[in-house]
Amino acid sequence: MRVSSARLALVYTALITFLTSVLLVTVYLLTRNALEREIAAVVRAEVEDLTDELRLGGVERVAATLRLRTDSWGRTGAVFLLADQEFRPVAGNLSAWPRDIDPVPASMVEFEISARERGAEVLHPVEARIERLENGYWLLVGADTSERKTVLRRFGLATLWGIGLTALCVWLLGAAFARRTARRVREYATTCETIMGGDLTQRLRVDGSNDEFDALANAVNAMLATIERQTITLRAAFDSIAHDLRTPLYRLRVRLEEAQLRRPADDAAAQDADELIGPALEELDRVQRTLATLLAIARAEAQGLTTHRDDVDLAALAANMVELYAPGMRAAGLEVTLDAPEPAHLTGNRQLLAQLVTNLLENALKYVPAGGRVWVRVRNTPEGVAFSVKDNGPGIAPDERAAALQPFVRVGDAAARATGSGLGLNLAAAVARLHGAQLTLGDNSPGLIVHCDFPTPR
Amino acid sequence: MHLLLIEDDAEAARFLAKGLRESGYVVDIASDGREGLFRATEGSYDLIVADRQLPHFDGLSIVAMLRRSGRHTPVLILSALGSVDDRIEGLRAGGDDYLTKPFAFGELLARIEALLRRGSQPEANTRIKVADLELDLLGRKVIRAGKPIDVTSKEFQLLEFLARRVGQVVTRTMLLEAVWDLHFDPQTNVIDVHISRLRAAIDKGFERPLLHTVRGAGYVLRDAV
Repeated sequence: MRVSSARLALVYTALITFLTSVLLVTVYLLTRNALEREIAAVVRAEVEDLTDELRLGGVERVAATLRLRTDSWGRTGAVFLLADQEFRPVAGNLSAWPRDIDPVPASMVEFEISARERGAEVLHPVEARIERLENGYWLLVGADTSERKTVLRRFGLATLWGIGLTALCVWLLGAAFARRTARRVREYATTCETIMGGDLTQRLRVDGSNDEFDALANAVNAMLATIERQTITLRAAFDSIAHDLRTPLYRLRVRLEEAQLRRPADDAAAQDADELIGPALEELDRVQRTLATLLAIARAEAQGLTTHRDDVDLAALAANMVELYAPGMRAAGLEVTLDAPEPAHLTGNRQLLAQLVTNLLENALKYVPAGGRVWVRVRNTPEGVAFSVKDNGPGIAPDERAAALQPFVRVGDAAARATGSGLGLNLAAAVARLHGAQLTLGDNSPGLIVHCDFPTPR
Repeated sequence: MHLLLIEDDAEAARFLAKGLRESGYVVDIASDGREGLFRATEGSYDLIVADRQLPHFDGLSIVAMLRRSGRHTPVLILSALGSVDDRIEGLRAGGDDYLTKPFAFGELLARIEALLRRGSQPEANTRIKVADLELDLLGRKVIRAGKPIDVTSKEFQLLEFLARRVGQVVTRTMLLEAVWDLHFDPQTNVIDVHISRLRAAIDKGFERPLLHTVRGAGYVLRDAV
């Protein structure tokens, strides 16, 4: 998003710089044209004037007029020369016919004349018109263009500076604006991530400028307040139910155990009672585990990982879990293979991740028939750590996969449905979500493949 | 051994105290945090069992205050809160062990015994002997009656944990915590399979079994029937 607003600023800078350039260059070209045309007009008027003089009084009159005007050199910048057929100067303020200038009648020429100014030789550019008079004399009328050239050069320089400064200002403004926008959006994104991590008390910052960002922040904050209120209500209800259930269950267990301890060792009636108490305790175990799992899911979803995170090597963790389950699986006729060749580090809660691996292995143990195989795979990827557990058991039908991730949903045949709490995959999915990953179920044809790709924070 | 039980649920406190007394402990009961803290600082107890949620002072504050006043009486915290973070918090506050309600009484008994015996047994660091079973801690080898026995490294860890607590009941959750660093109960009894493999390794073919199952509680390694 920083890229997009910066790119926008760049596009605007380029556009505004281009338009400013077009404007200023046009003004420059128009000015240059006008100045050139002005010189041409002055020269033409002067030529007409002198031609009139010639007609009225001949060469002498022209020469006299020119002699009168000669001392004006340097003030008006006018250049005159009347020369005879041999190009010898007759009158005017040029000492000789300019070198390398071909006498073509009615043509504009450019040359330079040197003049002494404050003791130094200075070259002046001149633009002039050449006329052939009726008597064969040559008339050269021109103007010193050095001033015009200076003006144009300065004007050109000012134009370039103008374009440069405009571009710089627009770019600075655009960059500042883009940065401000990007910072605000980034700040919102960071806050949202914290909120998704479970801290519902966070709010988007309102800076009081009453701009559209404030409007957005206010709307989102109002929504968050509602969500937080509802979550607190739900959590409180859930916590009190869980707590209220735990205490009687705890007492029930203590009483059953007391009954079990108290029976005389060799009494037939007590033996009968024991046969009832044993399974009752096992049932109680299941209820308690379900409750504990529900609490674990609720806490994982509600608190996020705000309290405890460590650096976890998922490869080592998977190896540990496979090691724990391998004997049990072998006893059930399953073969489990670990494929985790190198350490795969991620940041997370070790116990919860262990619970995720455990639940997937427990599921395999429960659903894959004897003779089956289970593969556990951990790999480093450019995005993070890829984890998967696959088997060649019955798998889960595609239309049942989404439901299998829901709490209290059991899939498969009746025997499989009867065991377990129906929370295993649900907890695994919650743990995955907590670590920024998504648990997906796929077809290993035959069998189930559970994927979980953990992103590593950059 | 003199225990202090700080528990506000009167019925649970009565059951626990009764069970503990039957197991040979002298038990005092405190029914709220203030009384608990008062008794804990005044009396000389060998161990304190404190509920985490109590009126006045909670279990964690009691532990923290005890530790600040320089008392190192072992404290076992009982809690209805079950997340991993709660456990870490409890141990960080200075608790020595943490048990989530509801628990089997056998579990509590085993953990109390483990805490009380902690430090009283000499810390073996080269060799542990239980009857004719010998553990070479440096070479990670097991020898029974002079014959070397092949065990995996996890089986060795299991056996070492049991051998360091000869005659003490060790629960499944204690083994899961110590050997696999897991602080939750898997659904299936995965530990049982490991124990039966270990038993097959060290007891099979010998007249006197050393590794025993204690019903409803766990396992014990001992040289008696």
